[in-house]
Amino acid sequence: MVKFGLFNIKTKFNLLLFGGSFMKLCIIGFGAVGMGVSKVVSMKREMLIEKYGLDISIVAVTDRSGAAINPNGLDIELLLEIKDKTGKIANYPEFGVSDISGVQVLDDVDYDCLVEVTPTNIEDGEPARTHMLKAMKDGKNVVTSNKGPLSLNFHELLEAADSTNAHFRYEASVGGAMPIINFSHETLAGNKITSVQGILNGTCNYILSRMANEGSPYLQTLNEAQELGIAETDPTQDVEGIDAACKIVILANSVLNRDVSLKDVKMEGITRITPESIALAKKEGLLIKLIGEASYDNLEVSPRLVREGSPFAVDGTLNVATLKTDLADDVTVAGKGAGSIETASAILSDIVSIWKARS
Amino acid sequence: MRLNLVLELLDVPGQLLDALDPIGKLGANIVAVIHQRDVKTERGTIPVHISIEGDEETLKRVLKSIEEMNIQIIEVDGVVMKEKITTILIGNIVDQDLRETVNVLNSIEGVRVADLNLKMSDNPEESASRIVIEADYGRKKDLMENIKEYGNSKGFLVINEI
Repeated sequence: MVKFGLFNIKTKFNLLLFGGSFMKLCIIGFGAVGMGVSKVVSMKREMLIEKYGLDISIVAVTDRSGAAINPNGLDIELLLEIKDKTGKIANYPEFGVSDISGVQVLDDVDYDCLVEVTPTNIEDGEPARTHMLKAMKDGKNVVTSNKGPLSLNFHELLEAADSTNAHFRYEASVGGAMPIINFSHETLAGNKITSVQGILNGTCNYILSRMANEGSPYLQTLNEAQELGIAETDPTQDVEGIDAACKIVILANSVLNRDVSLKDVKMEGITRITPESIALAKKEGLLIKLIGEASYDNLEVSPRLVREGSPFAVDGTLNVATLKTDLADDVTVAGKGAGSIETASAILSDIVSIWKARS
Repeated sequence: MRLNLVLELLDVPGQLLDALDPIGKLGANIVAVIHQRDVKTERGTIPVHISIEGDEETLKRVLKSIEEMNIQIIEVDGVVMKEKITTILIGNIVDQDLRETVNVLNSIEGVRVADLNLKMSDNPEESASRIVIEADYGRKKDLMENIKEYGNSKGFLVINEI
């Protein structure tokens, strides 16, 4: 009780200090990542208030069915329950709306920060691109994990955000919880980064690790991964290297400051990898991994040989990346590359960074 | 005269002794041997630093005999000599005549195919070969690109080192 009382005093003090304002989130897309963001906002509510004076209020959530909108904040438990039970956010009692587009929600709702987490579309980046550009033009901050528009329209988005001084952050788009984008810009500030190499797709790494450990053929291993929910029913984007290539484009644009798009990446996936080739590699103390590489003269995703015991010899769905820098030499980061809560962790850190910059 | 060598030895018992044996027999003096088993190269082998003394002819004979024993000399008097490149090709090795690939590689100056391993699959398209190449130092990046280009042109999936 005493602790609770103290917490309340501190909270009130913080709210007073920072004008007592909420940060109003609009979450467009309510799949695994959108739901994960809601969960972490709810889980960390007290901590965020206490530590940063940040009281996050989710004012709008959309999915394919429509939206739930409440200017005074939606009930997160109820949001998750409705989505879980009915699959449609439009069924949210009292504040649910059917047949409303994301853009319309952005027009109607008063919010501070857009969390764009609709499914990745690598054909034209839509509808995420439109959502983000609209929010930025309206001077709103944007946080996203969406690789589609980032790998197709990176500089367009950056310019749109700059034109209204909106914050634009996208840590979650590469490597889930593995810190790399903000890490390069902030922790490695002052360094010139000359290349990034890494394992950027957890599904491929899981399949290749299993093949190496069990000697099983590719298709069988893929099927097992699908049964476990690690690979998607249509695994094309993962196993053909497209997903990793998107991340390479984002890293090249953001970390190496290049101006490139998905078509500039040489791409080879893991579908042709055989147990025979893995066995031959193993005899030399080598492993086959799908490696993405971004440098000033190369953009490539391809299976490569890595030494057992090296930083790249990670098993399972882990992601790992090595940045070559002029001052710090090689710096290697690793972390969970996917997962609803892990990805939401990266999104939350972006939200907190925006809040800190604002206050 | 004195010669400083760095040899690359496999991490198995007896390797060091075998490597040192001809040095004394050919009449050269061993001045120093630095052998640290816990320091390994990227390839898992152990670099052994050896300083030997003798007249020029003797030292030449020693170098020759070490080479004949198939022991890699990676440095002579601080100059890096060779690097090893491993690559794996997946595809129809029989149809595409792997010997031709090996010949093409061997015809490049300063490049030698040191090891070749095959693993056949029930489906010929899925057979794999591992090629280990020794090349003069500094050639690695270019050579890997060459191999990739050549392999791709023959329909192989080429898996190079990182």
